[in-house]
Amino acid sequence: MSDALHHLQKNALKPKYTGARVTRKEDARLLTGASRYLDDIEIPGMYEIAFVRSQRSAARICAIHLDAAQATPGVKRILTAKECPCFFGSAEDVANGVVQPALARDVVRYVGEPIVAIIAETRYAAEDAVERVQIDYEPLQPVLAMRESLLDQPRRVHEKTPNRMFHSEYQTSGFEDAFQAAPHHLVEVFQTHRQTGVPLETRGLAATIDPGSGRLTIYATHQSPHGLRGDMAVALGIEENELRVIVPEVGGAFGIKAHAYPEYLVVAYAALKYKLPVKWISDRTECLLTDVHARDDIHEVEVAFEGNGRILAIRDHLRADAGAYSAFPFCGAIGETVLASRVLTGPYTIPHLATTIDCTYSNKTPLGAYRGVWGPIASFVQEGIVDRVARALHLDPVEVRRVNMIPDELFPYTNAAGQAYDRGSYRASLEKALEMLNYDELRAQQKTLRDHGKYIGIGISAFVEPTAMAQSEAGSVPYESATIRIEPNGSVTAAFGLGPSGQGHETTMAQLIADELGVDLKDIVVLHGDTDSAPFGGGTGGSRSGPIGGGAALKAGRAMKEKLQTLASHLLEAAKEDVQLEDGKAFVAGVPTRNFSIRELAQVAYTDVLRLPEDFPVGLEVVARYQPKRPVTFSNGTHIAVVEVDAQTGMIEVLDYVVVNDCGRLINPLIVEGQIQGGVAQGLGSAYLEELRYDDQGQVTTTTLADYLLPVATEVPRMRIAHLETPSSGEGGFKGMGEGSLIASPAAFANAVSDALEPFAFMVSALPVTPDQILAAIDRSRDSMA
Amino acid sequence: MKTIQATQSITLNINGQTHSLDVEPRFLLSDVLRHKLGLTGTHVGCEHGVCGACTVLVDGKPERSCLVFAIQAEGSSVETIEGLSADGMTRLQRAFQEHHALQCGFCTPAFLLTATALLKQTKDPTEQDIREAISGNICRCTGYQFIVDAILAAAKGEEA
Ligand code: FES
Ligand code: FES
Repeated sequence: MSDALHHLQKNALKPKYTGARVTRKEDARLLTGASRYLDDIEIPGMYEIAFVRSQRSAARICAIHLDAAQATPGVKRILTAKECPCFFGSAEDVANGVVQPALARDVVRYVGEPIVAIIAETRYAAEDAVERVQIDYEPLQPVLAMRESLLDQPRRVHEKTPNRMFHSEYQTSGFEDAFQAAPHHLVEVFQTHRQTGVPLETRGLAATIDPGSGRLTIYATHQSPHGLRGDMAVALGIEENELRVIVPEVGGAFGIKAHAYPEYLVVAYAALKYKLPVKWISDRTECLLTDVHARDDIHEVEVAFEGNGRILAIRDHLRADAGAYSAFPFCGAIGETVLASRVLTGPYTIPHLATTIDCTYSNKTPLGAYRGVWGPIASFVQEGIVDRVARALHLDPVEVRRVNMIPDELFPYTNAAGQAYDRGSYRASLEKALEMLNYDELRAQQKTLRDHGKYIGIGISAFVEPTAMAQSEAGSVPYESATIRIEPNGSVTAAFGLGPSGQGHETTMAQLIADELGVDLKDIVVLHGDTDSAPFGGGTGGSRSGPIGGGAALKAGRAMKEKLQTLASHLLEAAKEDVQLEDGKAFVAGVPTRNFSIRELAQVAYTDVLRLPEDFPVGLEVVARYQPKRPVTFSNGTHIAVVEVDAQTGMIEVLDYVVVNDCGRLINPLIVEGQIQGGVAQGLGSAYLEELRYDDQGQVTTTTLADYLLPVATEVPRMRIAHLETPSSGEGGFKGMGEGSLIASPAAFANAVSDALEPFAFMVSALPVTPDQILAAIDRSRDSMA
Repeated sequence: MKTIQATQSITLNINGQTHSLDVEPRFLLSDVLRHKLGLTGTHVGCEHGVCGACTVLVDGKPERSCLVFAIQAEGSSVETIEGLSADGMTRLQRAFQEHHALQCGFCTPAFLLTATALLKQTKDPTEQDIREAISGNICRCTGYQFIVDAILAAAKGEEA
């Protein structure tokens, strides 16, 4: 092999951009404030909408008085269910009569449910009018407690349909015998309280009739542009080609923007019906009331185990509160429970599992997607079980993990729920995290400090993260699409059906394409978020954009590379296999001087077309779709939190945090680390701060960010992150990673507090765990010791 | 942004430029910047004074523009992200890019302005100084670590 050829092959193995800490193409516009988010969009003549929302959790609407609102200066139109009789809903929900109307008809079922829409010249005027609408209610008894509501107590939320909106049972064969035969058992009830994603940009929608084409154009804060277009077209009764969805810059999404909300339909409907450009952007209180909620689950768990810590069987009764309606298009209660039940055994070889799932309607906000969906709950339960087994047997929690963890030789491994895990670094990630922490030494220190009244806790969370699932909240399609067009001057335009909200897809997708085509990153523009330019795709969510979108990028990149090689080989009169692409040129291997630049090739492909080989289509455009063969690929890793709990105040301080993460082959470690750090911060919020509280009338009492607390810079620890790379069998070897950090971290934080409070015999069983609960537990323990 | 109620004429000094405009007394500075002057780099995340996304510099000090009526800003000089970026990106902005201190970017202008004020005041801030200075700004995406790193690097004069 010639030196040049050798060099080339080495280069081919070591791509220039893929795997590198590339800074982002998105950043310049964001850093200078030049970017345009939804509320920055101004359409000439645009009106604004504000909603009158239910102030009751359950009531019949007797009368709506609109006269004073109508007379408010600046008001243009007012809509109630009568004027806007549409809805988003699955066929099943329509059949069961449980669909949420865009505007409430006769009954309201949660606080914040939209009833009236006011269209006015300004938001200020619209809000003035909102205050002047009077609604007469006849109160109904609110349905609020999960266990009772499942029994239709105190009443049904939807008259004609039982509250129990989902039920399922599963059991491994031989479960009962294995469970009974075990020498040790324990029981626990785990509960997670309502939380929500809280992207910093609130959600909203603007709509207008495009004066040129007459089509409806919608601007939406959304994770799935094509998904929204399809749902919207059905709900409005128009064709998909009469509707264009544009997703501008999105200021965070975290699952809550994967949903289609009733307000969106009202805005679009108003634009269509009255031929007015209109916009609605929610305020923060509306968000906390009506963005989908999440994590409202109870797990009643029984565990059977052996004296060495080996866990033999888990029985779990999972309950979740779906809220007043099944969130569209994804019911969070069903998603959280069904999927949690499939990964409850986590990274462990627990052979037996029995699960019962019950989901109920209530008079609360619909439950939907929040990053991690089922994962944070399943991990909290699974890692809580492991630590309880350790405590019951006086074993080190690490030992119990080692005894149970799936050994490398068992992959691919099918867990007790039938989920097939692909290869990962389960054991290695645990050992690596322990080593980073200097675990044994820390345990010794912990002991000494305890004697001095200082309570340090170490919380371990070994996790599995199902990613790139065929079905997820973002789109019901198991594939993604990419188009690549080389423009007549040789620059590259790629387009995806993804719906990023800060994940940096313009950069990561460009990295992959740049490496395939041998062009500079700056010569690639990545488009997304416009159904007129993007190929049909599922969107972003369920940690699918890297592995599935990235796979589509690779496939499209390869197809384009092929075309360029074919064209260049013809022009260079060389064999196609000998044509290499690098530095923006196609050249004959070993003879870099025999080359055509991409620019020259594009010129031939578009202009000088007589020089094209026979059968070579004019132009340089490809579209590729990638559907992974596996229905899911599992990322894995280990998080360890070290905290100190102040026994006087109940305050928790995080002292250290290590993460070992394996998401297969890395596209961009910088971006992956950013995702991990953000997820751990959200996990801290989930574990210690965030709770949407309801009073006994079903009123949400946490309606500002002063009540619903998000983690700030002084609370979030510095994290130490290491990567392991076990490639998936899919394109590029990528696995998803958008959710793992939030799947793992609440359990790590919870276990750390449990560990710190071992002297007080306390274990965290409900999230978030707050200083009051900690103090109460310490008091209880002191009382019982006294 | 149209006006519906009685208005008042005011003069605002924004990014070194004088603007005369008619506003309703109840208009928030954030709304006037964004919807009357088109300075949409100032973002609104809560309108309750909690998230800090609407932070601008008023006479050099970080202020929440959602808590200030536009009429109250008369006589002060206001700097927004557009002003900060008038001559291209500052060292701090470049450090934010280099250290991946932003994801969705919604919180970013406010962090940049807060950190700019900090670095003017404190030449050699510690990590703790930085964390405290930015603790009134919420970022839901990054977990703050890379923001802290970027500010530390900019303070040290490390060029991206
Ligand atoms: S928008 Fe002003 S502090 Fe949140
Ligand atoms: S980057 Fe999204 S909120 Fe900070």
